[in-house]
Amino acid sequence: MDQRIVEFTALLRANGLRVSMSEHLDVFHAVRRLGLADRSQLKDTLRATMVKRAVDLSTFDELFDLYFSELGHVVQQATDTLMKSLEVGAADLQNLMEQLQDLLGEREADLSKLAEALLRNDAGRLEQMLREALQKADAQSIERVYQEGRYSHQVAEALGVGALGEELDRLRALLDEMDLSAELRDLLERFFEQRMKDLREMIRRAVRAELEKRDHTQRERDRMANLAEKSFYYLSEDEMRRMKEAVARLAQRLKNVVAVRRKRAKRGKFDVKATLRKNLQYGGVPFRIHFDHRVRERPQVVVLCDVSDSVRNVSRFMLQFVFSLQDLYSRVRSFIFVSDIGEVTQLFEENDTQEAISQALTGNVINVYAHSDFGLAFRQFHRDHLAAVNNRTTVIILGDARNNYNLAHEWVLRDVQQRAKQVIWLNPESRLTWGFGDSEMDRYAPFCDTVEECRNLNQLYRVVDKMIS
Amino acid sequence: MFSSIEEVIERLAAQNYICSRRIATVVYLATALEKPILIEGPAGVGKTELAKVISGALSLDLIRLQCYEGLDEAKALYEWEYAKQLLYTQILKDKIGEILDESTTLNDAVDRIARQDNVFFSDRFLLPRPLLQSITSPQRTVLLIDEIDKSDSEFEAFLLEVLSDFTVSVPEIGTLRAKHVPIVVLTSNNAREMSDALKRRCLHLYIDYPSPEQELEIVRLKVPGIRESLSAQVVAAVHKIRGIDLKKAPSISETLDWARTLTILSAAELSEELVNDTLSVILKYEGDIRKAQEELVDFLRTSKSTEPAAAAAADPDAKKDLLH
Repeated sequence: MDQRIVEFTALLRANGLRVSMSEHLDVFHAVRRLGLADRSQLKDTLRATMVKRAVDLSTFDELFDLYFSELGHVVQQATDTLMKSLEVGAADLQNLMEQLQDLLGEREADLSKLAEALLRNDAGRLEQMLREALQKADAQSIERVYQEGRYSHQVAEALGVGALGEELDRLRALLDEMDLSAELRDLLERFFEQRMKDLREMIRRAVRAELEKRDHTQRERDRMANLAEKSFYYLSEDEMRRMKEAVARLAQRLKNVVAVRRKRAKRGKFDVKATLRKNLQYGGVPFRIHFDHRVRERPQVVVLCDVSDSVRNVSRFMLQFVFSLQDLYSRVRSFIFVSDIGEVTQLFEENDTQEAISQALTGNVINVYAHSDFGLAFRQFHRDHLAAVNNRTTVIILGDARNNYNLAHEWVLRDVQQRAKQVIWLNPESRLTWGFGDSEMDRYAPFCDTVEECRNLNQLYRVVDKMIS
Repeated sequence: MFSSIEEVIERLAAQNYICSRRIATVVYLATALEKPILIEGPAGVGKTELAKVISGALSLDLIRLQCYEGLDEAKALYEWEYAKQLLYTQILKDKIGEILDESTTLNDAVDRIARQDNVFFSDRFLLPRPLLQSITSPQRTVLLIDEIDKSDSEFEAFLLEVLSDFTVSVPEIGTLRAKHVPIVVLTSNNAREMSDALKRRCLHLYIDYPSPEQELEIVRLKVPGIRESLSAQVVAAVHKIRGIDLKKAPSISETLDWARTLTILSAAELSEELVNDTLSVILKYEGDIRKAQEELVDFLRTSKSTEPAAAAAADPDAKKDLLH
């Protein structure tokens, strides 16, 4: 059994769970105390000792079932198909098998272990033999679906299926010699045939289970990695949904990182004045040391988001990202524009993020079906909201700068840059296309402190990280 | 100590705590293997309560350390009582003078004082904080480190030493070793991910909202005066509400509050009006309440139509109807 736990641990590790050596040892201590008899108890035990992250729980559950119950399941199903194909109930089947036992006993035929287990339908035995054969055939190293045939063949060989065929032929000959009713003989014949089929099916499914064990989380992980690099433009419906979660998770990670960074930065130098004042009560003996705290301002953020059709997906995630990070900033004000500009800060304060985003993008605030006009939007911003920008403000503009050949009004940006701490422009288009056609990027770029391409999640993460630090 | 998982369930039940087999298994393993338990899960599912009932069931003292941002060793482990030390030196000035009287040189005086060092740095002036208390306690204790996710990662790193060896080194005195390894329970609301090093040293337990059957049992236990049919309705409604996408889902303690409220109002069954009046007991956001009201209207209507039939039929069946 120790062997099986070691194997299972290796399986967990292969699927991305982190199981350390000491946790591994804990498992053995725990199992020694509680035993293995009760499967659900074993599951609880392993879960408590090895799975430490809530996100890994579902993976663990699936793998546990695959590893500890799958073979038993396979054998059980084979029995079911056997009964169905012979059209007998459980009791009849038992009867038949006993009859066969008696007949063979009379003739003192010896059976191989496999034949015995199979003909008696000894589930535990079958399971164990299957497991050994899988190991012998090295079925754990299966990687692709097309290898199933080859591994099934190897497992069959390891089990000795070829010899089993011959053995069954011998038994048939034995039975022929006996004086059996045609009906019984027929039933037994069908029993033999079906069992042979069952065995092949069991092998096939056992190999399939090995394959499933291997790649079930791997796939999930790959998908996630691809998602982070995939351009916002080409997301499918399903990917949008998962993207939302991914953005939330990234935001949380960033929050943790920043919290630690701030913490470290807070510790200041030894403060002589404060120390003296504080220790007057101890007669001037410096019992309590005082350090000064560096005050670190939280950045204020003003977001200007282009929500025209061409960049809507990016805006959506940008808004979500910024608002999930809200407590890192002292104040976030967001505006959306196509040709008119409108403020959506309040919308976000009153609704939860997703709701607010969908409201903002469906035209309740501004007309989202107009043609993009950056110049007009900037001018309106200059007229109505310039007060929002001061020397602590980071202004983030998100847009592709495709202006439909309207006036660019880049002077607004110059004014804004003079007032603001920094101006960041995020462009969801590839850098190669900037400045071509109606793109005004080249006009705006001189008045931005940073201009970044922001086409996927990883780029977004990098940009926001840079912004906060 | 517990001798089996069944005993854990039984003895916790005696403390009015209903736990699943999974929880009991972890508790048993923690006491048997002397490992800390790290409990995670949504707020209000009884994480802290579990530590309390363990101490109750084993009749051990509970020592609680509430974590918060900025918690440091001085507040968690020990502190020197400066003021007391200072006071003693002041009072004992004469005595100190006596000791120093015979010395002729400065070196000699310093030596003499140094010999008295351990008077001032001894247990007498050591102010034990929760961690040190639980380690030096003459009996075994249950140490509850609550909301560990609120503390800083420096503190977490410091905890590692304590949790792995149950020793504490005080530079002036030496290393203090635990006479009895305390049963340590850490709870976390997952505000941040704990480090792998800490997790490695703990058994992990994830407590989720209980199943309707379990919650019903809990309600009956904790709110004794409640009517059978009402408690089933309350639990079913709460489970319905948890299914909605809310800012804050109602916890078990809020279910209990609601059940108590309804009992005080001596309600016989949930009605739309009653729900509207009392929903603020379980939901704490205006938006959530609105959402839940809409959702519950249908639910109440269907449950009402089954109600007369259920009253006629056997009681357990009525419960089933409501629960599924």
